[in-house]
Order: sequence, then C-alpha cells, then structure tokens
Amino acid sequence: MQIFVNTKYDFVKWRFHAVAFSIIFAIVGAVLFYKNGINWGIDFAGGANIVLKFRDAVPLDRLRTDLTDASIQQYGKPEERSVLIRLPQQGREGDYAGQTVAKLYRDLNPEAASNKVDLNFNGKDRIADLLYTADPDHKGTNDDARKAYQALAQEVIAKRSELGIFTNINQATSVANMTSADAALLHDKSYVGSFNVLNQETVGPQVGKELQGKAVWAVVLSTLAMGIYLWLRFDLMFGVAAIVCIVHDIAVSLAFLAMINGEFSLNIVAALLLVVGYSINDTVVTYDRVRENRRKLKTRATLEEQLNLAMNQTLSRTILTSGSVVIVLISLLLFGGKVIHEFAWILLVGVLAGTYSTVTIVPAVAIAWNNMTGRKHDVAGPTSQRSRSNNEEPPSPPRAEASTPKRRRAV
Amino acid sequence: MNKNIWLKVGLIGFILVLFAIRIIPTKAEPEPIKRGLDLKGGTHLVMRVNVGDAVRLETDQAAEMFKSQATKNNLPAPTTRRVDDLTFSAVTPAGVPTTEYERLAKDYLPAFDMSRNAEGAMVFKMKAANASSIERDTIDHAVETIRNRVDALGVTEPIIVPESDNRIVIQLPGVDDPARVKDIIKTTAQLQFRLVEGTPAADDKTALASVPAPMKQDVEIFPGTREDELGRATGTEYYAVRRSVPVTGTDLKTARVQKGRLGEPVIGFSMTPDGARKFGDLTGNNVGRALAIVLDNKVVSAPRINSRIDDSGVIEGRFSQQQASDLALILRSGSLPASLTTLEERTVGPSLGRDSIRQGVLASLIGFIALIAAVLVYYKGAGINAVLALLLNLIILLGMMAYFHATLTLPGIAGIILTLGMAVDSNVLVFERIREELRDGKTVRAAIEQGFQRAFGTIIDTHMTTIISALFLFQFGTGPIKGFAVTLLIGLFASVFTAFFVSRVIFDVVYKPQDRPAEISI
Repeated sequence: MQIFVNTKYDFVKWRFHAVAFSIIFAIVGAVLFYKNGINWGIDFAGGANIVLKFRDAVPLDRLRTDLTDASIQQYGKPEERSVLIRLPQQGREGDYAGQTVAKLYRDLNPEAASNKVDLNFNGKDRIADLLYTADPDHKGTNDDARKAYQALAQEVIAKRSELGIFTNINQATSVANMTSADAALLHDKSYVGSFNVLNQETVGPQVGKELQGKAVWAVVLSTLAMGIYLWLRFDLMFGVAAIVCIVHDIAVSLAFLAMINGEFSLNIVAALLLVVGYSINDTVVTYDRVRENRRKLKTRATLEEQLNLAMNQTLSRTILTSGSVVIVLISLLLFGGKVIHEFAWILLVGVLAGTYSTVTIVPAVAIAWNNMTGRKHDVAGPTSQRSRSNNEEPPSPPRAEASTPKRRRAV
Repeated sequence: MNKNIWLKVGLIGFILVLFAIRIIPTKAEPEPIKRGLDLKGGTHLVMRVNVGDAVRLETDQAAEMFKSQATKNNLPAPTTRRVDDLTFSAVTPAGVPTTEYERLAKDYLPAFDMSRNAEGAMVFKMKAANASSIERDTIDHAVETIRNRVDALGVTEPIIVPESDNRIVIQLPGVDDPARVKDIIKTTAQLQFRLVEGTPAADDKTALASVPAPMKQDVEIFPGTREDELGRATGTEYYAVRRSVPVTGTDLKTARVQKGRLGEPVIGFSMTPDGARKFGDLTGNNVGRALAIVLDNKVVSAPRINSRIDDSGVIEGRFSQQQASDLALILRSGSLPASLTTLEERTVGPSLGRDSIRQGVLASLIGFIALIAAVLVYYKGAGINAVLALLLNLIILLGMMAYFHATLTLPGIAGIILTLGMAVDSNVLVFERIREELRDGKTVRAAIEQGFQRAFGTIIDTHMTTIISALFLFQFGTGPIKGFAVTLLIGLFASVFTAFFVSRVIFDVVYKPQDRPAEISI
C-alpha cells in the first residue's frame, strides 16, 4: 500500500494562511488564559489533593460542611463512590492532606475513638500487630508466628486492593488462609471504616514555586538547545526556524489546554518537553532532504522550490510516523485512565501541531529569513536577479510564490 | 559475506537472549522491573530539617556553659538572653572586672565571636563556619535517624537522601499506612528527664504561681494529661519543670514495650553507662520529688522518685499497644536533632496503583497491536521486518530497565509505548527511502543499500533531538517523570540499534545479495 506518492502540493503557497490560523489559535488560548486565569495544579500552586473511596454512598453534604475551603468533586464514575478533594494552599508549609484525612477519619468513623483496627484505612502492619498480639491461632511469640500473621495481613490488604474497598467485614475474613479463630478476632477487634485513601498529595508553597521556575526553565532551555543543535547540524536559518516551530507547537498545545480548561501539572510539562523533542523530528527530516537535494540539484532553484520539493518527498513519511504516534496516543487517551488523560491530550495536540508547523510555519520562517538575508539559500546563490528586488519589502515576500515556476521533480 | 551475515544474526540472537532472560520473573526475583511508587503504592516525602533548632540548642548550651564556668571560677553568674538562633547576650554584674569574663569567653566559647552592644553587654554570635558545620551534622544525623526508623518499620528498599536547602527526600515503596509512617518519621522524640517544681495545676498561671519566687526564672511550663484516681484522662495538667536538662534520650541504650502492673503497655528503658551515672545522680539527690518525663515538650508522666535509680526504668503513659510499640521504636532509633516540616507528600494507595497498572498496560497493548496492524498493512513483507525490530526493541528496553534497576512508572508505561511509536519512525524513514530508490529504477539490493545509507543521518538527527529533550525531562522531573525520561532514553538508544542494525540484517537474510532478488515486498 502506498499513499502520497509523487505529490506536488504547493505547501509554501499556504504559509500565510497557516501563520494567520496559528496566531488566531494562540490568541484564543491567550485570551482564555487571561479570562479564566491559568488553572495551576497543586504541583505548581501548592495545596493538597486527596482521593477517597467510600464504603457506601459518598456523604457529599457532610464533606462540604466539614471542609469549608475545599473543592469537592466526584472522581471517576458515580459507581466508583470516589471523590477528589482539593485544598488550596494555606500560605505555610504543613501536612495539609494528612491533617485533613485525619480529621475526616475522626468525623466519619464512629468507631475511630475505640482501639479497634480499621481494615479499610489501616495498613497491613496494624492488622498483623493485632493478630500477633492476640494470637488466635496459638502460634506463640516467635518470628515464624509474626511472619505467618504478616502474610495473612498482606492477604487481607491484597483483597482490599482488588475490591477497592471492603463493604462488609466478611469480605476481609473470607481470604484463603484465614482460620475461624482469626475471623472471630477480626470481627471482634476490627471493623470496616467508611473510606480508604486512594491517593493523597501535598505540595507546600515553597516546592510549588520552585517547580514553576524549573518547569519554565526546562521548556525554554530545551527549546534553545534544540535550536543550537540544528544550527550546528544545518545552519542558523534552520536553527531559528526550528525555535519558532517549537514555540508554535508549545503555544498551540497550551492554547488547547486552555480550551479544555485543563490543569497545568507536572505531567503537562513532561508532555510539553516531549513535544519539544518530538515535533521537531518532521522538521529535521525535511531539512535533511533539502540539504541532500541541494547537493544533487543541477538547475537553479529558489528556496521555495527546494522546500516544496523536500516536503512532498517526505510527505508520506511525515504522515505515517505522526500517524503511528497518533495511533498510540489515541489508545492512551481512550484506555489509559484518568491519571494520564490530559498528558495524552497535550501530546496528541503537540504532535499534530508539530506536523502542521513543519509544512507551514517552518517554510514561512525560512523564506522570510532568506529574504531578509538576501536570498542566500537559493541554490543559485545571492547574486540571482530575484534577490535584488527583495530588499524593498522585507520580511514578507508576496511575489515569491507568484513567480515560482512549477518545476519538474529534480532527483 | 554470507558468514558475516550469520555472525550478525548470532549477535542479535545473543542480545535477545541476554535481555530476555533478565525480564522473565524468577523465584529469586519475582519482579524483575521494579514498579515505581505510583504503580506499587507508597509514599514520597520531601521534608525540611529545621536546622535552626539544632543551632539554637547549641547557642543555649553555650550560654548555660558560660554561666556555669563563671560560677566555677568564683565569679557571679552573668544574666544571659538568647537574641536569635545564633546569638546570645550576657550582662555581667556591676563591680566585677569584665576582663575576667572575656578571658572565660576566650577559653570556653571558641565557636563564638564576641562584641559589645550599645548597653555594654557582651554579645556572642556563632561563627558562620561553626553554624554551617552544625547544620551539616544535623542533616546527617537526621538522615541516619530516619533510616533507623524506616528500617525498624520493615520498609523494603527505602530511599532516604539529603538534598540542597536542608531537605531530605524519602521514598517508601509499598507503605500502606502513610499516616502512621509519617508520625514515626516526624516525631522528634526529644526525651528529657527534668525535675518538677511547685505543684501541677489545671492552667499554666496557677502552675507558675506555685513555684517559689527565686525559681520562677528557671522553670518552663509544659502541658501533660490530667488523670483521675482510676487513671482516666480528664483534661490537661500543666507542670512547671526546671530549665536544666540533666538526662536526655541520648542517654538511653534501649527501649522496649513491657506490661505494666495492670497489664497496660509501658515502655521499659535502660541507660548507657554514662547515662546511668547521670540518672543515678539525678534520682539519688532528689528522692521524694517528682521527675517529669518530657517528650517533645509534653509531659508524658511525672512519677515520684522513690529511691535512687541507676540504669533502667519504666515510662508509664496512657499508651495504646500501637502507640507504645511505635514510641519504643522511635526511642530506640534515636531522637531527631531538629524538627521536620513536610514540604511535599505524594502517596498512592495500593488499589489506585493496581488500577493504574491495569489501565496503563491495557492502553499500551491496544496501542501496540494497532501499531503492528498499521505497519503490516502498509508495508506487507517489510512490515514483518519492522514488527520484529519493534519486538526486539521492546525486549531490549525492558531488559535494560531491569539491568539498570530503573523503576517503571505510569508515565513510564506511556513512555514505552510512545518510544515504540517513535521507533516505527526510523523504519518508516528507511522503507520510504527504499521505495523511492525502487521508483528511481534501482535494483532491490541497491535500493536496500541506498535506503539504509541515506536514512542514517536523518535517523541520528531525529533521535538526537528527542534525546536532548529527554535529558531536560530527566533533569526537571521528580519521581514518575524521571522514570518516564529514563524509559524514553533507553528506548531511543534501543531504537537506533533495532531500526538500523537489526532491520538491515533481516533484509540481508531475506534478500540475499547472491540471490539477486528482483522483487521486494515493501
């Protein structure tokens, strides 16, 4: 199967439309950011996220009255009985999540004051300690007994992980190696509490601020590093065009994030860094081809012609490789779960933006640069007659594509 | 030529086996690739060590020593006051030559610079070098104490490392009760034995009022629990205890849970030889008085001293079994030299980790199958070549992660599948090149040669750019994101090898040069 063979699309012609479109897209994103503010996740803003899974229906009203400054929303599907509790930053360091969970635990579990073990909330050590101290199986006080009870406790926790949460204590006491004496002890000395903690995160103001700085620097420096690499490998024009291309891809990705009102988190920064590295690949392949063609071209060709030729030659490769990554990303989007959902979205948009910018933004920058520097990149060299007229109207050369003759493919 | 090819095939087979055996779970290693905290469940903590605590303590002790040395030298004790963590001032009594005190300071306070303030009082400021050495020691000590505690908890493969800005990063995989673990780590466990003055009272003012006037300057008020005759908690009781701390937790040799008279859990301790001497002096000289056992500025209990005690004793408090065993563990592992503040915590419960791994693997599997299908449809015979290269890539990637002890995180799973998506890129570059050469009328062998040769530079460039950004990602990232960056880096190196070397060898084997193949399925 072959697609896009011997195409002769005039990509260069559309570059102004494309630049305009991208700018509008970015402006829409900027306006949204301006209007709604940046939705910083706790990684950067500081604060706490807590995800709880409840034994029974989520006591939303109770949670809202208990935690007045928190935002509380359903997490996942309603039948998962989970909530995401987000606490704003308190302006000082502290274990926000831990303190909040402890408070909720006292408020929502009538048994909390007793010395009983909560099979939903406590860990395997507590359960093992309870069993070992009471020793219902009369194993004595030795290491073997301790190990046996630890293994049993681990079994209970594994069962809980499988179910998500115990809704009934019999689920806990029905694990394979539990004797009736163990079960009787657990019925007597333990209970299944109203929730367990799926996830809790606290980021203090200091760490959040540092991460913000690190994120910005990482993105900026990697973009510059990419430009420098391409400058060394190719030339200054391509280096500059690559930087513009990366800035474009990041701007589009961020604008998209604003449009879906996504949260700006560490994962998003990771996605952006990946976009920086990956979306430039198409551009590299195209440049490579331009350089190769230049060595082979015998006839005179303008930069516009060279770019069009290279982009057409590499078109099927561009579509295919972006396509293969897009296939993977769509699968991550559909099946990857909540944690990496926005990460996959940003990568998807970034990769598509990268392909798009390769055939639109990069030629626009390269041609503008070429016109400004006296059409150095035309194979005929800067002395060609076209270069003289260009001094009058830099940096945009509207006559360039009009005067471009359609040429045969030069191979 | 022929021999050469089989040598290469042998090499590929060797590499395949080398990595494949590493990722097959064995009895000795049931989990060849370690799961990160986000998949396994566990806690990641960043704590700040409040080194100021330790410096302040040093300053206080220096001031105390200055006073006691003055007394020993038959000089009236100066009045000292701490100005800040690093500084204290000393007002010398009028009528005594200050040169005497200056001589003392020179002998006994070498770590401090002396000056005089506007009122003529001596001001001692700790030298910067001494302060920073105390800070360094404090961090080291804190790391060691935390490691003792974590080890005592039985956490497998914890990571406890100091970082810049007085921070300690603590990673505890598999921890399923973060609240308890955090309590154990954070408890400073500054245990002190201090004499009680006056009588305990229900509020701090009454407690202070019961202290005889000359002692008022030398006591601190600490809260404790008030008990009724049956030992039930009925509220808070305030104790006035002496400022001087004759015996501390560092004098303990060991501590363990014992059963008290009524079967309640108590903590029995024994003293080091040095501690036993100090404890013997303290108890022997103060029979009949109350001795407060102060833990982190709270009075745990204040028993009456019945007789001289040397090397062992019992701490009674209102402990549950769990509290008692946790406290014994903490006392055994030593006290923290300074308090800790939580800067960052990320805890993933075991069930969420389980969900994540299921979804991550499912998504990757579907993505991988779709990828294979697409490559096979588009490139037919050569597609099989690409798929083989991809599979080998996957095996090398996983094997390398196992060899390097890299941890697999959820973004890391995304990283693996994404790397495979990118690895296809190299195959596509080569195949498209071969197709072009064929269209230009080259023979199959020449097209293969040219295709690989021409695509090489481009493949290196595309990989370099992604490697650059993966390095930045590694530098920037924490935990899961670092895992992602590592996966990506390894995958990129593997993909250069498979796309360029392995795929080439497969072509050479299928379309042997001596056969002069006329057609190629691509």
